[in-house]
Amino acid sequence: MQDVPVVDFHAHLGNWGRFGMLDTPELFLKCMDNAGIDVTCLNCIFHGDSDRGNDRVAEYVRKWPKRFVGATFVSANYPEEMVPELERCFGTLGMKFIKIYPHYVGVAHDDPLYFPIYEFANDRGLAIMSHARHNFDPPSLSVYKRYEGLVKRFPRINWVMAHAGGGKNEEIMRAVRDFPNIYVETCGSRLPIGGVEYAVKHGRADRVLFGTDMPLFDASQQIAKVMACQISDEEKKLVLGGNAIRLLSLKL
Amino acid sequence: MGKVDFNFKPAVPVFDANVELGRRHDQRNLKDTPEQLFEEMARAGVDRALVWHPNGATYDSMEGNRILQELIHGDSRLVPQFFCNPSFDDFDVFTRSVKDAAVRSIRMVPQYQHYPFREWIAGPWLEWMEREGLSLWLPTTHTVFGNTTELDASDVYDTIREHPRLNVVLSELDYRNVSWAVPLLKSLPNLHVEISRLTIADPINRFLEFMDDSRILFGSRYPKSGMAIHVYALHHMGLPESTVRAICAGNLERLLGMG
Repeated sequence: MQDVPVVDFHAHLGNWGRFGMLDTPELFLKCMDNAGIDVTCLNCIFHGDSDRGNDRVAEYVRKWPKRFVGATFVSANYPEEMVPELERCFGTLGMKFIKIYPHYVGVAHDDPLYFPIYEFANDRGLAIMSHARHNFDPPSLSVYKRYEGLVKRFPRINWVMAHAGGGKNEEIMRAVRDFPNIYVETCGSRLPIGGVEYAVKHGRADRVLFGTDMPLFDASQQIAKVMACQISDEEKKLVLGGNAIRLLSLKL
Repeated sequence: MGKVDFNFKPAVPVFDANVELGRRHDQRNLKDTPEQLFEEMARAGVDRALVWHPNGATYDSMEGNRILQELIHGDSRLVPQFFCNPSFDDFDVFTRSVKDAAVRSIRMVPQYQHYPFREWIAGPWLEWMEREGLSLWLPTTHTVFGNTTELDASDVYDTIREHPRLNVVLSELDYRNVSWAVPLLKSLPNLHVEISRLTIADPINRFLEFMDDSRILFGSRYPKSGMAIHVYALHHMGLPESTVRAICAGNLERLLGMG
């Protein structure tokens, strides 16, 4: 076994009964230890009143400050609450980045509805994680053009495409190659051959972030996607933790 | 500092309970030849694989089963699993083919093949399997052209409880089906689970809370998933070696009468 800093960039708080998703601190810590994860970045997207979920995240971070990092969720269904909640989360709760979930709104994340979030993040050079595309996007959508527009307008934001580092999408990898602040994250229900390898070889090794989607998915299975792929040990170290540590200025 | 294993090799023999072998008509699998399968097995540390051919589900079970045997070409690392369509296949011809090929497990996809998994249609076939000590694999989903059909849990419950000596494996159980699969596994002691799509957190221990490890089978769902991913994960879930050993090979060997 090798000692390597490992950061899980994508995990959720909250139970989700219809999928058997169970959230307890014991389960989180046990899965993290089994998989070899030092730190998990938590968000809670299950509440319309996003302060409820953010408080829950902050409670975990307070209790286990060496094991959890907080990510803020704000709901665009209540746009008037977005910036005040961001100010609270980054001012007093010590959150490290922002998670948005456009599925709840039915409005894609390049819409001006989200711009107050982006202006807040751009001023501070924060990272924002979102799915790269949505089930309500038109089939003709170019993800590349979506991010080209966002990067141009908000150049100081680091954009993280959730799940996009575990599949094989050349258009997304072109965005990773062409823009200096695009990252892809690896978690997903599918465990395909060569998914992470594709992101490293067709995108960039320094832009791929390991994530689990815990507790919806299992940490050992998700880390195995990185461990089993055919890239160098140095590239694996970047994906497992090096990139997240740099991006979030973490001190492990 | 997190601990990971860059030089991982499995500590126990591994027998994969869910491998698709051969070409599909609806898409090109990333890997579809025996040679590619052997390469993946060697890389992942998998010794043997229970293999099925996609044509057996989609068009003609008898033809798919024949193609499967051609591809296996007598290699003992690959163990054939035959598809059966009780609404279409000739009982005598099918059962003879199973006997001739010394096949020990059958795979059915009732929803995809448009028949209800009920006693009045599957019963005689299941009785024959019970008599012969064959095991039945039921994938919870089957996808062709991107369209997925799902197993009917109530049909499985009603039908399988009529056959308490038949060992049945719920295959490719995914996180969306856990809500009904858990009570089903609690209700039917002859029901097993194959874990290739079981991606919920701490999956094995969650199931060991209500059933013993003899009912859990390692499967990869190759080539849709990587074998090495599943083998690494199973060895890093904090399980006792005896449990890993049973899940990785022992339970499948027992179901196939090879143990």
